Amino acid sequence: MNKLLIIAKRDYIESVKTKAFLFGLIVAPILFGSGFIGIMVMEKKPDLTERRIALVDRTGEAAATVIEAVQEKNERDLNDKDTGRQTMPRYKFEIVAPDTANPDAQRLALSRRVSSKDLYAFAEIGSKALHPDATGEKNPENGISWYSNETGVNGGRSWIANPMNDGIRRARMTQAGVDPARFSDLLGNVDIRTMNLVSQDEKTGQTHPAEKRTQAAMAVPLVLVMMLFMIVMITAAPMLNSIAEDKLQRVHEMLLASATPFDLIGGKVLAALGRSLTSSILYIAGALVVLNALAMFGLAHLELIPWFLIYLIAEITMLSAIAAALGSACGSPQDAQSLGMLLFIPVIIPMMMMAPIMEAPNGGLAVAMSFFPPFTPMMMMLRQAMPGGVPEWEPWVGLVGMIAGVTVISWAASRIFRVGILLQGKPPSVGELMKWAVRG
Amino acid sequence: MHAISLQGVTKTFGDLTAVDDLSLTVPEGAIHGFIGPNGSGKTTTMRMIVGIFHPDSGSVKVFGEEMRGIRTGLIGYLPEERGLYRKMNVRTLLEFHGELRGGHNVPQQVAHWLDRLSLSAFADAKIETLSKGMTQKVQFIAAVVPKPRLVILDEPFSGLDPVSAESIREGILEMRRKGTTVVLSTHDMATAESLCDSILMIFKGRKVLDGTLEQIQDQYGNDTIRLSTQGGTEFLTRLPGVENLRDLGQFQEVRLARGADPQEMLRALIALVPVKSFSIAKPSLHDIFVRIAGNE
Repeated sequence: MNKLLIIAKRDYIESVKTKAFLFGLIVAPILFGSGFIGIMVMEKKPDLTERRIALVDRTGEAAATVIEAVQEKNERDLNDKDTGRQTMPRYKFEIVAPDTANPDAQRLALSRRVSSKDLYAFAEIGSKALHPDATGEKNPENGISWYSNETGVNGGRSWIANPMNDGIRRARMTQAGVDPARFSDLLGNVDIRTMNLVSQDEKTGQTHPAEKRTQAAMAVPLVLVMMLFMIVMITAAPMLNSIAEDKLQRVHEMLLASATPFDLIGGKVLAALGRSLTSSILYIAGALVVLNALAMFGLAHLELIPWFLIYLIAEITMLSAIAAALGSACGSPQDAQSLGMLLFIPVIIPMMMMAPIMEAPNGGLAVAMSFFPPFTPMMMMLRQAMPGGVPEWEPWVGLVGMIAGVTVISWAASRIFRVGILLQGKPPSVGELMKWAVRG
Repeated sequence: MHAISLQGVTKTFGDLTAVDDLSLTVPEGAIHGFIGPNGSGKTTTMRMIVGIFHPDSGSVKVFGEEMRGIRTGLIGYLPEERGLYRKMNVRTLLEFHGELRGGHNVPQQVAHWLDRLSLSAFADAKIETLSKGMTQKVQFIAAVVPKPRLVILDEPFSGLDPVSAESIREGILEMRRKGTTVVLSTHDMATAESLCDSILMIFKGRKVLDGTLEQIQDQYGNDTIRLSTQGGTEFLTRLPGVENLRDLGQFQEVRLARGADPQEMLRALIALVPVKSFSIAKPSLHDIFVRIAGNE
């Protein structure tokens, strides 16, 4: 058997037998899934404690309409329309006369009440909020200041902003002499439905009407990218430590007498691919079973599975080669820990960029990032799985770039590995690593 | 054909010249010993023979074939830095090494060597559970399955108890009987003298001795006297013709200056103290080693 395959076979069998691999296989989806479960639990068990808000109205005309608008919306949203169960807290207002002589002292006193939880927050309607001047946002008197110590993304401010503005508009209309009975007609919102695009079957010419985009459809790209990330973390991540440990235990010199450095690094990369494909087959099969059980098989996007596997292979090859190079440069277990950060840049940055990319999946940043080979697997996967997808040529161009990137990275990594694996003592600097990669 | 042929081989690491214009040949079917102080270039030379390092200049041929970038199943290698996959069991690990060198009948050969080195009972044990000596014997087996034509052993006896060392020694002799060429490095001069058919000494990257023990000793002549007396040792250096004294406890080794007469020295000795033993000998390998490495 080819030496590379013999090394791959040993590495694969020995690593899938380890408790760490089996543990990671089971625990990783639980850990990642617990985030989603947490959100669902939070949605089902919201904080329903009544929120008292002090309102300081420096216009002298807006408080009543602001409170009216907020409480109207509060009544509409308070209970779930299907179950009748309360899903959000009730808002209560306390109008506080503005202290014109010493506004800062008043703000301090109200802040103390918020800190002592007597109030949830206090809002100050600026004196020019009904008719802002040209200074705009720079002048706090042109708007409403919201004082609270809430930190949650879904805190009261994001919910209350719309009805407060609504209240300001009502005050303006009152000034303009509009009949209050017409307020809801004039200011009422209409539902904006998010739709997918209309498509046409190229063979039959049949037009497929657009479908309403559901939240579940938006979860598909998230789940796919998370799965990619998860598999990378449980298969490529341990490789750096494993190579560093083998180096410290001096196992490579004997192997290098029988196999070339390329056989050795190639075998290890192949074993990592084997581990990742094992994990992905299990996860994909599990996901399909779950979707089927939930009668949501339509979300499966079976056409994306080959791309998922291609991106997985590219990502694992690239990261395993880098891990082998970095592992060979380690002089101690501590080195492996610190170099681990470098290894995960190609997956950490795309993870951090997911939110803005999902906001504008075909924007300049998204397209540029998905053509940068180290980021292509996760970025292109994310964009392909988004409703609307990407132009057909993009994944193929990304694939060509990825093959080129993986080839260059693997070649440089094998040169670093060849030099580093027998060196002992002080770890090399980044400059020395580059020199090894270029000169071998 | 020579098992190994090095011609004008030089290897440098930065400013350090580890091996300097080294040429040597090792005939097939012999045991060849590499000796030399630490850092003299023995391990670097071995790594070049195996193909782990490439020489900066010169050529390294094994069985007539240039070794650049080639990994052949013909060579077994036991590095000085011992290391095995600790989580694997003994048999699986040895079969892995055998397969990697493209061997046939690997399981049978593994079983033979495990039996030969009294390790059969530990065939299914994990490496991490073995003692240091047993681990070293396992690594020796990993180097010699499947039947290589050439075995390179870097310090095969270091750290071994006498029983384990003896079983390795017997294993080496068995391989030679079957026609395998063995190259080993050692700091134990007695081992080199008794086990090796020919000896090479490398000092500061250069070859300083090469030949059979007899050929090497002949270069120095019969300039060594081994003696023991009943009167201490301090006066020995004052005897005529004595250049150097080495006190070995139970007896002393005296080196005579070039042209000095041993008979004259014996007469002077008898006049001073009762002599228990007195023999004229060629210098030991140890003495030769110290003369060179001690810069004498």
